[in-house]
Amino acid sequence: MDFKLRRPLEASSNASSSMMSEISRNLKPGLPFIPCDSTNICYGARQEQSFSEFPPPQVTQCHGLYAREQKTETKNQLEPSSAVNDLVMDWNPRLMLSNLSFLEQKIHQVQDIVRSIISQEGRANELAAQQQLVTADLTYIIIQLISTAGTLLPNIKNALLSATPPVAQTGVVANLPVNASQKHHEVLSVELAKASEYDELIKDLNSGGEGDELIKCLNNSVAEVSESIPIEDHDIKDYDDGMDGENLPPGSYEVLQLEKEEILAPHTHFCLICGKGFKRDANLRMHMRGHGDEYKTAAALAKPSKEASSEPAIIRRYSCPFVGCKRNKEHKKFQPLKTILCVKNHYKRSHCDKSYTCSRCKTKKFSVIADLKTHEKHCGRDKWICSCGTTFSRKDKLFGHVALFQGHTPAIPMDDAKVSGMSDHVQVGETTNGMVANMGYNFSGNASDDAQSLDIKDVDDGQGYFSPMNFDACNFGGLDEFPRSAYDVSESPFSFLSTGTCSFIPRNGEN
Amino acid sequence: MERAPQQSSDSILATFSVDLLIQILDRVADSRDRKSWRQVCRGFLHAEALRRLSLRVLRLEALQGLLRRYAACLERLDLSACPSLDDHALAAALASGAGLWRLRSINLSRASGVGWRGLAALAKACPHLEAVDLSHCVGVGDREAASLAAAAGLRDLWLDKCLGLTDVGLAKVAVGCPALEMLGIKWCLEISDIGIELLAKKCQNLRVLDISYLKITNRSLQFVSSLRKLEDLSMVGCSHINDEGLQFLNNGSNSLQTVDVSRCENVTSSGLISVIEGHKYLQDLNIGDCFPELAPLFLSKLNYLRDSLTVLKLDGFQVFAPSLKIIGLNCRNLVEIGLSKCKWVTDEGVSELVAGCVNLTTIDLTCCHLLTNKALVAIGDKCKNLTCLQLESCKLITDNGLDCIGTCCSNLEEIDLTDCTMTNAAMKYLSRCSELTVLKLGLCDKVSDEGLVHIASNCKKLRVLDLYRCFEVTDDGLAAIATGCKRIKNLNLCYCTRITDLGLKHLSCLEDLHDLELRGVHCVTSLGITAIANGCQHLTELDLKHCHLVDDAGLFALGQYTKNLRQANLSYCQVSSMGLCNLLGSLKCLQDVKLVHLTQVPVEGFESALRASGGRLKKLKLLTGLRHLLSPGLIQMLQARGCRIRWVDKPLNLVP
Repeated sequence: MDFKLRRPLEASSNASSSMMSEISRNLKPGLPFIPCDSTNICYGARQEQSFSEFPPPQVTQCHGLYAREQKTETKNQLEPSSAVNDLVMDWNPRLMLSNLSFLEQKIHQVQDIVRSIISQEGRANELAAQQQLVTADLTYIIIQLISTAGTLLPNIKNALLSATPPVAQTGVVANLPVNASQKHHEVLSVELAKASEYDELIKDLNSGGEGDELIKCLNNSVAEVSESIPIEDHDIKDYDDGMDGENLPPGSYEVLQLEKEEILAPHTHFCLICGKGFKRDANLRMHMRGHGDEYKTAAALAKPSKEASSEPAIIRRYSCPFVGCKRNKEHKKFQPLKTILCVKNHYKRSHCDKSYTCSRCKTKKFSVIADLKTHEKHCGRDKWICSCGTTFSRKDKLFGHVALFQGHTPAIPMDDAKVSGMSDHVQVGETTNGMVANMGYNFSGNASDDAQSLDIKDVDDGQGYFSPMNFDACNFGGLDEFPRSAYDVSESPFSFLSTGTCSFIPRNGEN
Repeated sequence: MERAPQQSSDSILATFSVDLLIQILDRVADSRDRKSWRQVCRGFLHAEALRRLSLRVLRLEALQGLLRRYAACLERLDLSACPSLDDHALAAALASGAGLWRLRSINLSRASGVGWRGLAALAKACPHLEAVDLSHCVGVGDREAASLAAAAGLRDLWLDKCLGLTDVGLAKVAVGCPALEMLGIKWCLEISDIGIELLAKKCQNLRVLDISYLKITNRSLQFVSSLRKLEDLSMVGCSHINDEGLQFLNNGSNSLQTVDVSRCENVTSSGLISVIEGHKYLQDLNIGDCFPELAPLFLSKLNYLRDSLTVLKLDGFQVFAPSLKIIGLNCRNLVEIGLSKCKWVTDEGVSELVAGCVNLTTIDLTCCHLLTNKALVAIGDKCKNLTCLQLESCKLITDNGLDCIGTCCSNLEEIDLTDCTMTNAAMKYLSRCSELTVLKLGLCDKVSDEGLVHIASNCKKLRVLDLYRCFEVTDDGLAAIATGCKRIKNLNLCYCTRITDLGLKHLSCLEDLHDLELRGVHCVTSLGITAIANGCQHLTELDLKHCHLVDDAGLFALGQYTKNLRQANLSYCQVSSMGLCNLLGSLKCLQDVKLVHLTQVPVEGFESALRASGGRLKKLKLLTGLRHLLSPGLIQMLQARGCRIRWVDKPLNLVP
């Protein structure tokens, strides 16, 4: 058991020290860091600073750091001991012990799950779920181990610093996992809201030397923990751009470049070794047999399991065949694409014609059919319009908008033919009052075929009122701008007609 | 119309200054006296015009002229009696009123011809508009609401049964009229939670809100509960609301005084308890027909409202004596209790109740079949301030029970004895109540002229008298009523078959008579109707169904004199095309007419009569057979003007 516990710890520290150079690259000012990482940078800076004027700032820094870790730990209810506050230079062995025993329990749990997998040989989806559980648990254990090991760091660090002066970077390196793990704690407890922060975190871990697998696991586990992260955002689409800051050291992965024809072929299954595409997974599996005996086993042929352990150990990344593209391996700042699907989508989006046109709006064009489908889900649904011209596909969204902004009102859905001219008015976006007036004014012109005007015609019994045009002019011509006397003069039933028109003209003048 | 003779310069009337006239006028309260005042001379008319604050228009033709005269000072305008009002008429009237500067309130109820143009003109012309009643304008929708929203100062708005109104229209109003204090959107079935949410966010001043019969859920109540000034909440028949929703009202952040959750079938005691706990100052609680049985916990919680609760309505519950006892103990200040159709209400229970609640003025015991005279004795004994007592269908009570009521409750104003076995003796006891205004004696077939003589001897204030199927009543009884109760407004004489023209002649001296039902009084002829038409010129509703002897002469008289007639049932009368044509053509206020089985009227007669009505009708009842015989153009025209035609298919049954 002890051995088991220790091993990942060593592994991680080894990895971190070996990845020294990458980390320093990570700290380059040119790279986009988000606030989440500021402590990281700070820490590094302090570290370097502390060469000249040694321990005091170091101490405070550590203190702050540790106090925080304390807090997150209690939040997680891992170890609610509070007696560790004054732990600055010397660590608390009791805390360490309880942490370790907690980990022990955790490992037992995982063992149980694995045993049950062995004994069950259950159905496929059950198995998958259990596998996921195991990976999540293991990730968690690793993180715990790192953070537990992190409590030892001040001592180690001091020792190192005093022993070998030019090892500033070592300090940084040794610290990094701590930071990363700490942040992960925050992710777990505080529920990170932004995916970008999360991505950054992944990058940190990644640069810390953990493999691709770990990222995936973290991805899963965090997505499970914090619901506020929309899971779809991590898939397909964002991968394309989301990999920008992956920062794999060149040479640490194998670059595969598919041919243009291969990319554009309507294949969905690709050979991970040679990149050949297939329409059906079964065909791919048949093809795989040619790559070696290990693909000829019944297991490899039978099940297209995603987690199939036969994944090659080498990290594989992809290059876009379009020369000059940033995703092309010849590019100076080459940024590889992560999966074949990414390659396909990237190539189509960036270097192909947009041949799919939305059948509803006839304007939006797409090169990836999935994008079109996503768009079509929403296209034409923007029937909820605010008086400010903003459109919404959902009524509640519109009402939320209206509730938020003073004076905005929902525009009345204009379905009838008579109001075809209305839409322009709505789009322009006026104030409520102005809009009502405009509506009325506009309507008067083309209201001839509406039910109301049927009434108007019928009413026409000798009194010969006025055309709708006049009527509106009289209504909206600003009755209140004219003194009463103007109306009192004329007694005839047609008085309003004249007043209407007379008030109509100045109104035009105003406009 | 008597015109004042040419005014001489030394007439005493000319010496009064206008302000003096106004001073005098202020002391003239009765509308008829005011009418006489107007007719004295021009000066008086002018003085009245300066003083006139409210106007109810009965005939649309007069609207323009009236507004021209009264516009300057008018604050309240009621156009609900002019259902043929449309955009043009309204706009023309507003134009002739030349800006109703002071108009604050307008009632357009049932004016289904008014659309968004008219309302926009209204909002423009009346800058101080505060109250608009558009209830039962079924055509009103979002666009109308948008026009109305231009009246930013609006405080009261009633949109009951505006079927076209959706969340969008409500949002328009909510944003445009943030000062709204009273809002009724009962029966606006398109409105959902989203609309209510926005309303609650935008109109924080709402005091009165009626959201009855909407398809809203608990979520709406969550937002409604945030209205701090809310005092009166009606949500009758909101079947999607349950206890969980009422929990939201528990936080007590609003100042609710009146809550009506009747007919909310998913509400139970526990929900009501949370309402009670949240609002210690609740005055009026109506929980009728929600759930069958009162939980003891709810009853004991009524103790919270010990001082405030004045009205409690428990219609349709199973209420046992102990429950009533607890109510009596807990709600000492109760003024009104409704126990209509409650099961298991016994004499004991009522006694316990009134022993505690001595301030009760209104007691509704409709269909509490178990009650006997003992209950009435207890009520009379304790509730000295009783004004209203509903005893319909309490068959076990007898004359003696009313003895006590008549003696002890001298303030009694309203009593419903429909379907009780009362005799003339009971009338004698009741006649002691000189304040009586409403007396319902339907199906009390033992009450005869003698009883009516008793009533007429002392109940001078009687306004409503229901003698439905009181077969014993004859012309003499009506003579007594006509001399004793001059202010009768509603009179139901259906199936009092012994009444003849002579009786109607007696009644013709009732100037206030508005509503007369003579259904199945088959001895009545046109002579009697003519007498009524002549004398009762305010008649607005008349039921002559199965008055087989009434012919054209009666209709001519009605057409000539009862200019305010709004509803008429002429089914089975012996009228001809000419009479019908004349009636429909001359009555400008007629809205609702039933013309079933007019055997003497040919199709052409209907055709011309309905054309003569000029599209004023709002409701029409005809035999189904006519549907295909009448010209489609006519039917279309009627329906385009907002007339709803009910086609009935029943055999000709000459005996009622």
